[in-house]
Amino acid sequence: MTAILLILLLFPLTGGVLNAVVGRLLPRRASEVIACLGVLGALGMAVIALILGGRDTYHLTFFPWIKVGDLSAAMDVYYDPLAAVMILMVTFVSSLIHLYSVAFMRDDRDYVRYFCYLNLFVFAMLVITLADNLLFVYLGWEGMGFCSYALIGFWYQDEVNANAGRKAFICTRIGDVSFSIALAFCFVLLHSFSISQINAQASSLSPYLATLLSLLLLGAAVGKSAQLPLTVWLPDAMAGPTPVSALIHAATMVTAGTFLLMRLFPVVQMSPTAMLVMAGVGAVTTLYAGAAALAQWDIKRMLAYSTISQVGYLFLAVGAGDIVGGTFHLVSHAFFKALLFLAAGCVIQALAEEHNIFRMGNLRRLMPQVYWLFLAGAVSLSAFPLLGGYFSKDRILLATFMHPELAYKVLWFIAVVAAFLTPLYTFRVFFVAFSKRADGRRAADIHPIPKFMAAVLWPLAILALGDGLLNLPGGIGKNFLGNFLAMVPGARPDLGASSALEWSMGIFSAFLVIASLILAYFLYSYRPAREPAMVGLHKMLCSAFYLDNLYRLIFVKPYQAMAGFLWRDVDNRYDRGLVKGAKALFRPYRAMAVFLWLKIDEICLNEGAMKAAGGLKVLSSGLGRWTSGRLSTYLTMLFLGLAIFFGVLALGYPW
Amino acid sequence: MVTIVPYSHVLILAASLFVLGAGCAIARRNLIMILIGVEIMLNAAGLACIGAAMRWQQLDGQAFVIFIMAVAASEVGVGLSLIVYSQRRTGTLDADRYDLMKG
Repeated sequence: MTAILLILLLFPLTGGVLNAVVGRLLPRRASEVIACLGVLGALGMAVIALILGGRDTYHLTFFPWIKVGDLSAAMDVYYDPLAAVMILMVTFVSSLIHLYSVAFMRDDRDYVRYFCYLNLFVFAMLVITLADNLLFVYLGWEGMGFCSYALIGFWYQDEVNANAGRKAFICTRIGDVSFSIALAFCFVLLHSFSISQINAQASSLSPYLATLLSLLLLGAAVGKSAQLPLTVWLPDAMAGPTPVSALIHAATMVTAGTFLLMRLFPVVQMSPTAMLVMAGVGAVTTLYAGAAALAQWDIKRMLAYSTISQVGYLFLAVGAGDIVGGTFHLVSHAFFKALLFLAAGCVIQALAEEHNIFRMGNLRRLMPQVYWLFLAGAVSLSAFPLLGGYFSKDRILLATFMHPELAYKVLWFIAVVAAFLTPLYTFRVFFVAFSKRADGRRAADIHPIPKFMAAVLWPLAILALGDGLLNLPGGIGKNFLGNFLAMVPGARPDLGASSALEWSMGIFSAFLVIASLILAYFLYSYRPAREPAMVGLHKMLCSAFYLDNLYRLIFVKPYQAMAGFLWRDVDNRYDRGLVKGAKALFRPYRAMAVFLWLKIDEICLNEGAMKAAGGLKVLSSGLGRWTSGRLSTYLTMLFLGLAIFFGVLALGYPW
Repeated sequence: MVTIVPYSHVLILAASLFVLGAGCAIARRNLIMILIGVEIMLNAAGLACIGAAMRWQQLDGQAFVIFIMAVAASEVGVGLSLIVYSQRRTGTLDADRYDLMKG
């Protein structure tokens, strides 16, 4: 088992390193094959590990890493069913995305850099998924952050893209700081970095400390998973190539935060307060991002907000104590969101980098295959009855509803409203982009894209539609995933809901989805949709409630003002450009500055400095004579110094 | 019966070698001779290490010496090629003629 998991990790790492080192020397095809093999190999290993490992838990050590006093960190893995599900999903989705990328990046000259980062990303993600030691997790966590940064700003020649990369890096860094504080806490409180040991000792934590630790972990997860208040980076991250958005910013990386919380669930479980905060953050983010998605005109930004919204459900699930539901939705979200992004990538490339849905239209006739693929993703995202997303989202809603605390009923309501918005925003984009419109696209506008790009999406489409079978609420495959995850600490395979409640919830949400679909049809397809003006409510939604502007006002503006003040007014003291009103304010300051300048600076300091400089000059010319430039003099000095040094040592020696 | 050389003897030998090397490095003016002096000093240090390894029966000292030898070898390689280059460039190997660093 050790060997299998080690090889699993080494596959993408080797791929990435090979591409980084010799990628430029190889023909294009070879570089692509290396990258794809790196991930496909990992997929194969994940399948073998699943077959051999079954439902058991393994705790294996590859090799020791750091050992100082109490502190020990090893490269070790903790393989349990949760990790098994996760690595299978990650390797599968990233394999398909690698294959897709080969076609998508066919005209890009920097393919080596691209594939290298993509492989390294998969490696880092797998490290997070498998690692037992939190320091090892942190390694993957930061590696992933770096690869994400490098890939968002992949087309860095364009300032906007480079800035988007920086923004993502800085925003996630805020969460990372929280993570590193949590690491220090773990070590101080529990003397261990090992997830399994921390989980085993979690019950010894006092409620107060458990809350603190859980909230710090939540902070880390919020940064990585783009939840409120750190949502702002994800929509901008869409500046990267579309497969990157699909892989990193939809299917895998943004779920890493939730995964961390699930992994350390016994700690989180100790603190009902932290659970409530978590669920609250999730529910509010879900609604917030869902509303923002309603007004996006950029197809990728809409998908980004939808991702934020869906990841909010995952937080809600963990907050409601339902790991199984969280994992279930995580997996189905990975499938349908990757599918939607990749289908959107086909559209964007076929229309020569057009992101605006109002300049699409008619795509149903022009790109029938992509139409069906996007539809498959859209219905699954909308949680259309009996499809993948339906069962997983329902389970989360049910778990929230059944939570004994009253506050969770409110959160349930918020999540239901968000669930109503989901089909609305999804099908808004779908209808506007794909249905027939007089001012839509003509056949001549479509650039041919490789057939392979759409073909590789069919497995995703089938999984997106059918992954509800993984965890049916009843019948033959009842709670298959739940039973598989039963050994994971804190997991409840069955929520224990009465069948009446289950049925009524199911029917209620089916009704909700269909009502929303009909509304979307009448709003966006029945009448041909025009691009709305950027005013009022629409503008507010489109800019996601001005959150970016708010941050600019709170953080960027004061910083700029301060920097400007220091630069203009303090540094360049006599700048006459001061506003008249400010003049009075600054008069005492100016008087002081003048005093400092004339009296102290000119007379005392300058004179003093001149004298001092004169002295130094004499001294330096004296010392300058020592530097004869003669090698032998230097050597003699060296040995003399050495002799003195040894002499002193010898004097101190207890003879 | 094996008689073990006392460590103090080894140290005396190493110290005298070291001083000889240092003297060579200081006194000679030829770059090649300076380099040789430095090599002798390195070997003196290595000798002390080996003696210490014997004295305390720990292999670390010997491992150390292998590294010192490797470093010395590469140093000679680089140093000699630099010397050849300097000879070609300036036409002399007299260390006192290289006084560009004069302050």
